[in-house]
Amino acid sequence: MAVLARSSASADEVHRVISTALDGAFYRAVNPDLAESGLDPIRHYAGSGWREGRDPAPWFSTRAYVEAYPEVVKAGWNPLHHYLIVGRREGREVVRSTLADDYLLRRARRGEAPAWRFETLIGEGQAADVLAEETALRHRERSLAAQEFDAGFYVASNPDVARTGVDPLDHFLASGWREGRDPNAAFSVKDYLESYPDIAAADINPFVHYLSAGRAEGRTGRTELGFRYEIIKRLVPLETRVAAVARASARLKLGTAAALAKALGGARTGLADLHVTFSHDDYTANTGGVQLCLQREGARLAALGRDHLHLYPAKPWPVVRVRGEPGHLGVLLNGEPAGIFAPKTIAGVLAKTAGAAKPRRRSFAIHSLLGHAASEAADILAAAELKAGFFWLHDFASLCAGFHLLRNDVEDCSAPPPESAACGICVYGPWRDRHLAEHERLFERLALTVVSPSQPTLDLWKASSAYPAAGETVLPHATLVARGPAPATPADRPLRVAYTGMPTAHKGWEIFRDLAARFAADPRYHFLHLGGRAPVGSPIEFHKVTVTGATPRAMQDAIARHEADVVLLWPLCRETFSFAAYEAVAAGAAIVAGPDSGNVAAFVEAGGHGIVLGDEDALARAFEAGEVLQLARAKRLPMLYDLAFSGLTVDLLEGVP
Amino acid sequence: MKVLCYSSFTFSYLNRARVLFQTLRRFHPDWELVALVTDRPPAGFRFDPAAEPFDRVVWAQELGIPDFPAWLFKHDVVEVCTAVKGPFLHQACESGADAVVYLDPDTALFGSLAPIEAWLEDHDILLTPHLIDPNDTPEAIADNDLSASRTGIFNLGFVAIRTTGEGARFAKWWNDRLLDWCYDDMPAGLFVDQRWCDHVPALFDRVKVIRDPGYNVASWNLSTRTVAVGKDGQVTVNGAPLRFWHFTKLGPMGDAMTKKYGGTNFPVYEVWSWYKRQVTKATDGAIPERWWAYGAYSDGTPIEKSHRVLYRRRPDLQAAFPDPFAAGDGGFPQWLEREGL
Repeated sequence: MAVLARSSASADEVHRVISTALDGAFYRAVNPDLAESGLDPIRHYAGSGWREGRDPAPWFSTRAYVEAYPEVVKAGWNPLHHYLIVGRREGREVVRSTLADDYLLRRARRGEAPAWRFETLIGEGQAADVLAEETALRHRERSLAAQEFDAGFYVASNPDVARTGVDPLDHFLASGWREGRDPNAAFSVKDYLESYPDIAAADINPFVHYLSAGRAEGRTGRTELGFRYEIIKRLVPLETRVAAVARASARLKLGTAAALAKALGGARTGLADLHVTFSHDDYTANTGGVQLCLQREGARLAALGRDHLHLYPAKPWPVVRVRGEPGHLGVLLNGEPAGIFAPKTIAGVLAKTAGAAKPRRRSFAIHSLLGHAASEAADILAAAELKAGFFWLHDFASLCAGFHLLRNDVEDCSAPPPESAACGICVYGPWRDRHLAEHERLFERLALTVVSPSQPTLDLWKASSAYPAAGETVLPHATLVARGPAPATPADRPLRVAYTGMPTAHKGWEIFRDLAARFAADPRYHFLHLGGRAPVGSPIEFHKVTVTGATPRAMQDAIARHEADVVLLWPLCRETFSFAAYEAVAAGAAIVAGPDSGNVAAFVEAGGHGIVLGDEDALARAFEAGEVLQLARAKRLPMLYDLAFSGLTVDLLEGVP
Repeated sequence: MKVLCYSSFTFSYLNRARVLFQTLRRFHPDWELVALVTDRPPAGFRFDPAAEPFDRVVWAQELGIPDFPAWLFKHDVVEVCTAVKGPFLHQACESGADAVVYLDPDTALFGSLAPIEAWLEDHDILLTPHLIDPNDTPEAIADNDLSASRTGIFNLGFVAIRTTGEGARFAKWWNDRLLDWCYDDMPAGLFVDQRWCDHVPALFDRVKVIRDPGYNVASWNLSTRTVAVGKDGQVTVNGAPLRFWHFTKLGPMGDAMTKKYGGTNFPVYEVWSWYKRQVTKATDGAIPERWWAYGAYSDGTPIEKSHRVLYRRRPDLQAAFPDPFAAGDGGFPQWLEREGL
């Protein structure tokens, strides 16, 4: 028997339910004292009658039920309501009213028979009758659900069920609804149970309820809330994430000064020619845009024969640290791990080791300050006699703890004033001051030239900050080098629309997914997803593409091979550069971009590489009207390109050919 | 203009009230903020008004309501927390303030209320209606328009008055009505302090009905209001700056109505998400959920609503039991038990 939930039914609900089973004639007959009260039997029984031990019908003894199941009353249930909603299905027993026989006898003497058969509820043969009733009920429920159950939808959404070979409707009725699986595209089990706590409390199949009563009562089967609702619902306060990483950092085992000194002893130039970099993680162990940049920077330094010391938080901090928070740093020397050390240890050892060497060409670049404290970073650089260097705008951590400038992870915010109402409701708002203060400190301690991979990124940064920068420059991570015309494609085929990369919200997966769903049956379009993994149950044609250091062109090649006409690049957050945009164009695809996509939109507009649309409605309209069909390869006759990658900071160093 | 702003609540709503007062302090550091509390702190919770984001506390028993225990007993928690708003407002007219603003504890400011100070230059009474645009679907009409018809045209989660003229006359009238007639009894035409204010435009001059969508945004008017967040950082409602939100029914019921009418207007959920985070932060675990000192007799037995209703309908019981909370020999609970009630 299930654990008894507290009754959360309203008085109206209780009234409605017991009205279906209360025998008013019986109630009046056996309770003559009520005649004067003027109350109707249902209201009386729901109010004080059951507490007074009165029975609602000949077949139900309130007192017997309460005595047998005292927890029912304790949990706030009216006994008859409980029996009808829960108890009956749980197999709880009822006992006839002690007044029943006398009442029925009197009626019988008057030639009156009850409208129902007493014996089907209690007495001999009870078990068999109850079973029969259960079977009949199940049959009724199944017939009802079958009218609108979409087996095809169910199987497509639940490949695990499809694999078992179980009848989809049987699965849904038996356990699927309890697992939150939806019976068709128009009904959401989760929505219904969340929206109607009375149904959730009653522990009944919500779809059956909707079909049998809910719809007629004006209840809604599915609330269209959009994917952003789910993101907002899952938001974790930043303080929770910071506390977790602080705890993890404090548990780290730290290397000694001697161990670090030994590791630095293996430097190529004895640190005489030294380039120091800071970022948010170990670029040799993780993949991503910034990591790729650091790999290129490291490779160029190796080719020049210089030493490369990279410092990163050993645990991934979501924010910059302030001095005193336990953020121990991982150290890479020339791409090889040297251990994990306290920032102070690193400054101390560096002062001795680098101090022993006569400085020749020394430089530094801060690719990300996440997980670093400004003063600690400046102290470490001072130990290597460094003050002038470069500060990269790979993201907007220098403007906000929400370094994507994605308010509550759902919408581009453009870094409004910190005291704005928008920052006031944002999960990153309370942490913005910390980021501004730490970066202010950094720019005051060091002479930093700001390097932006794109002009719009630099423009926004300058409009939203007032740090004392020593200079500024724009250096794209890559440029297009023409390779020749793309192979011809047929003019009479559907437009091939691709999503490239990981299916994440901030890269715009849900925008693509919903677009693909909306136009799935439209013969003008064909949708495909090229990336590392597809979401479970995604009906969109998927091709696995893995980009590694050894296969940097894998995505570009895949776009060309699958002849994508269009790549939808609709990131929720502004891109500071976007390798994805360059890869798409290099492979001959056009880009359809969103308004808040940062350098994607700028790149598309500057190079005529596609179209930029104003919002998601405009996107749907462009597909509806067929405006995007102009982007077919057969109409554009695109060029193919190679990407010429920059050497990152190394391109900006003095004395580098 | 010297403004006094108050909210009425019990300790189980202290978390929400803290959020409200924090936002009031942010936007109106010059307003005097008063907590009107009809409760006693639970054992194990140390209430330090100096550490709270309001300037002072007024306890309901300090309002000088005659036969206070008997009067209080007639009301459930919602009824009494709304009933005390009247006496406080009336007395605040003599406090030296030029204007008094009431806000429910489950409201929070997102922008300055400076416009209401300006309106109070030309008006004596400001009210916010539940709806400023009609609904046109049967479901929304049933949920919102008809609900407002039953519970009151104006939402009394907000009212602002000048302490003179028609404002003072309103405060006296409201005080008088709420002392005797502040019950949740819709068939009798009563819904606590709120239905009374349907009369205000008829009974008083210099009344302004605030029809700005940025005021008193709540689940009951989301069907006709769209929230947006601009790149300039402004949060707007139908284009007007968001001033204050009424987070009625924090929990599954509030969520259900908010989702029903918020739909895909996702900034609505951003605002709610913010509020839930703030309330969580402001919650003190030492206060039991649903705590209310006056929810039980002196021996700790919970008071049933029917006992309160019986008591308020029977002057003889009021005379016999001037302190109906008192349990023990000769107490009201003993009488109830003997009567089988």
